[in-house]
Amino acid sequence: MPDQPNVINRPPGVCVPWEEKKKELPPIVGDEQLVKRIWEENDGLAYVYIWQLLLSF
Amino acid sequence: MAKDTEQLYQQRLKRYTTAMRNEKPDMVPIRPFVAEFVAKYAGYTCQEVTQDFNKAFVATRKCCADFDWDAAVANMVYVWAGIPQAVGLKYYQIPGVGLDKNVGFNYLEPEEGKSFMQQEDYDELIADPTGFLYNTWLPRASGDVVARGQPTSFRNNMSFVKGAMSMMCYFSAFGPQIQAMRTECGTVSAIAGILKAPMDILADKLRGYMGLCADLMECPEKVKKACEALQPHLLHVASTSSDPSNTVPIGFWMHRGCVPFISFDHFNNIFWPTLKPIILELWKRGKQVLFYAEGKWGAHLKTFAELPEKSIVFHVDRDDVFEVSKVLGHKFCISGGIPNFLLAYGKAQEVRDHVKKVIQGVTRNGSYICDASAIVQNDATIENMKAMTEAAREYGTY
Repeated sequence: MPDQPNVINRPPGVCVPWEEKKKELPPIVGDEQLVKRIWEENDGLAYVYIWQLLLSF
Repeated sequence: MAKDTEQLYQQRLKRYTTAMRNEKPDMVPIRPFVAEFVAKYAGYTCQEVTQDFNKAFVATRKCCADFDWDAAVANMVYVWAGIPQAVGLKYYQIPGVGLDKNVGFNYLEPEEGKSFMQQEDYDELIADPTGFLYNTWLPRASGDVVARGQPTSFRNNMSFVKGAMSMMCYFSAFGPQIQAMRTECGTVSAIAGILKAPMDILADKLRGYMGLCADLMECPEKVKKACEALQPHLLHVASTSSDPSNTVPIGFWMHRGCVPFISFDHFNNIFWPTLKPIILELWKRGKQVLFYAEGKWGAHLKTFAELPEKSIVFHVDRDDVFEVSKVLGHKFCISGGIPNFLLAYGKAQEVRDHVKKVIQGVTRNGSYICDASAIVQNDATIENMKAMTEAAREYGTY
């Protein structure tokens, strides 16, 4: 299970770091920066979700 | 958009932002944090504005259109009940659901020993705050989310889909609401973004106040480390949810981090050292913070005076607004200080007299924004809110 607590270093704004996700993917033969950016943008929304639940709701 | 509405907006924006930078505007800005009052004024129940955010938006705009307010919060009944309901959160009591439909929503403090984080969970929180929230806190705070290691369920899956989509739906509605406040009413959206102190978050949603008090006595080092672990995340949320143009401040909701809720030692050694760096970093990024000092924070005014000039706006609830002004007014804009009990139970003339006294006293030391002491609920009378507004205009010219 890739999501073991206390193993992954999650800085602010991140739930599943790109470096972790990339290990699960086949070789990226296209534009890696594009894949990375979209991953990080969506991942950031998951971060917003949990921290806004804690702070605002 | 009517040209005069935009002119009014620009005039109010300048007045509001000038005051917040502790400079003298043309007159004292009026910026009441009106919550359930908007329902009363617009003819809705508390249930309607809590459960249907569009009604809260409409009611807010009706108030903004009818009252000469420079700024207001786009929706001060901020906890739209649709989200806690979608997620299955246990800690709210919503008007109309086991609570009178004309009473504001309640936050239910967890029973002692039944908080959503236990004392033995500190290491997990400290090691990985975001992981802890998803893996441990949320399954305990929600009746639908399944604990780690347990079989999943339809309700578990739905809670994430419904929760995330409802949050996106709600947040996406603020842009049009803020724009409508501007174009329909000429009113400025008062704040953007959210900040809470690390120790307050521990007390509010994680350990509960009683749990935190026990921890401060039994394992203060763990509490401090947890606050330090939360600090970069709270900074990140405050910064990324703030106004990108840095025009309006970040709302900082101050709960129970003051004496006598905690001791001076705990304030000086944990609360403040884990909060101050956030404020300093935000200011470094050009972001002002509105200290919404709910309750009494008078024991800590000299500590707050350490902060850079203009970096905060200090809102006064139960403290003596004149004393606060003496200690902080030379560095920061002061707001509030019009007692809510007066707005609920006083006579209009008493409200006028009090507003006059506050304006004349506080503006000697710096700038002032007229507002009630605390968030205005539906106990405030319409007559008294009109009296506060009219008196601020009558006596608020520099």
